[in-house]
Amino acid sequence: MNAISQAHRGSRVRIAVGVTGVLMLAACASTPPPTASLQAAQLAISNAERTDASRYAPGELGEARTKLASADTAVKEQRMIMAERFAEESRAEAELASAKTADVKAKAVNHEMTRSTDTLVEEMQRSSGDKP
Amino acid sequence: MNTVNYSGVNLRRTLIATTVASVLLAACAAAPLKPDGAAEVRSKLTQLQSDPNLGSRAPLAIKEADAAVRTAEQPQADTELAAHRVYLADRKVETARAQAETSLAEDQRAALSAQREGARLDARTREADTARSQVATARAEGAEQKLAADQARSESDAARVAAANSEQQTTELQRQIEELQARVTDRGLVLTLGDVLFESGRADLKTGTAGNLNKLVFFLNKHPDRSVAIEGYTDSVGSEDYNQALSQRRADSVRSYLVRQGIGSGRLTASGMGMSDPVAGNDSAAGRQQNRRVEVIVSNPPAASR
Repeated sequence: MNAISQAHRGSRVRIAVGVTGVLMLAACASTPPPTASLQAAQLAISNAERTDASRYAPGELGEARTKLASADTAVKEQRMIMAERFAEESRAEAELASAKTADVKAKAVNHEMTRSTDTLVEEMQRSSGDKP
Repeated sequence: MNTVNYSGVNLRRTLIATTVASVLLAACAAAPLKPDGAAEVRSKLTQLQSDPNLGSRAPLAIKEADAAVRTAEQPQADTELAAHRVYLADRKVETARAQAETSLAEDQRAALSAQREGARLDARTREADTARSQVATARAEGAEQKLAADQARSESDAARVAAANSEQQTTELQRQIEELQARVTDRGLVLTLGDVLFESGRADLKTGTAGNLNKLVFFLNKHPDRSVAIEGYTDSVGSEDYNQALSQRRADSVRSYLVRQGIGSGRLTASGMGMSDPVAGNDSAAGRQQNRRVEVIVSNPPAASR
């Protein structure tokens, strides 16, 4: 009787484990890929590329691409939480790439303006030096 | 024993509960601990917000960054999630800073543009000034040229007048030469004074016969640039020495007369040529009379007269 009850108990445990496993699997299968985050990341990268970020902020843009690739890999591995985090990080990185690109460009324009103004002033002084 | 056993179990449960509670309390005490890196991100954000040039720029991005930092600062047992949040917050702070700096650069650009416009305006003003002064210079030069042209015109007028004068003078000279009854030769004007001026064998001029010489004086006064060579000649009567001396004295006599009439002695040379150069035969009285003469040679002016 004791042996029977022990055997019973063992089979109940096994069933419970099995059910739990199925439930867990079901849970995993039911977590959808973070489509919105992935799309947002992809859009942010496209925007950055359009502003020529590969030239002005290559580090950030490269990092954004790497993170997006990691997110895709995580989706394939069914690690959806990881996928979402990678996607969010990719987007943040791509947005930073865009912001840095705009900053570098704006400063370059200012630098050029300063330079041309200086040149103008210099030329003027030279020409006025020639004819005092 | 069972009871004891029970109480032992109870005691153990109590101990466990106490331990768990104290662990929980400890956890509560540790709760204010922020995830790694959150403090650094907060510090970065604070630095951006307190920057007088950047703090008020990119307000939306700064607000988002602030929210992300606050999320990152929340205690999180899941270290991966905590690190993810810190990462996101850091990127957002960086993005906010880049946007604020872009905005600052764009604002500065307006000032730079104004500066450049100012410099351009200066340059143009200077150019205009230069152009204006060049025009003024050109105008002055034009006036100068006009003046020069006027001068040239007046000079050419003067030249015309001079030419007219000179023509008139030439005509006058011609008339005077005719008056003097002089010959125009390569040496100059040759005026022959016949021996009627002199007594035979004498060198002083006959009185009242200076009319012809006075025409010469008048001519020489009119033409002060001409010098005069006075040459005395004789016929072949008498010795050579005598004739030489006589011709010299007659030439000197004419010279003295001219000097007395006010002709500069520097312009006058007198020489006796004796009987060396007869203009006619000495075998007749008429020929000898022609040979007794004084020739006055008036040099041509230094610049050959036109």
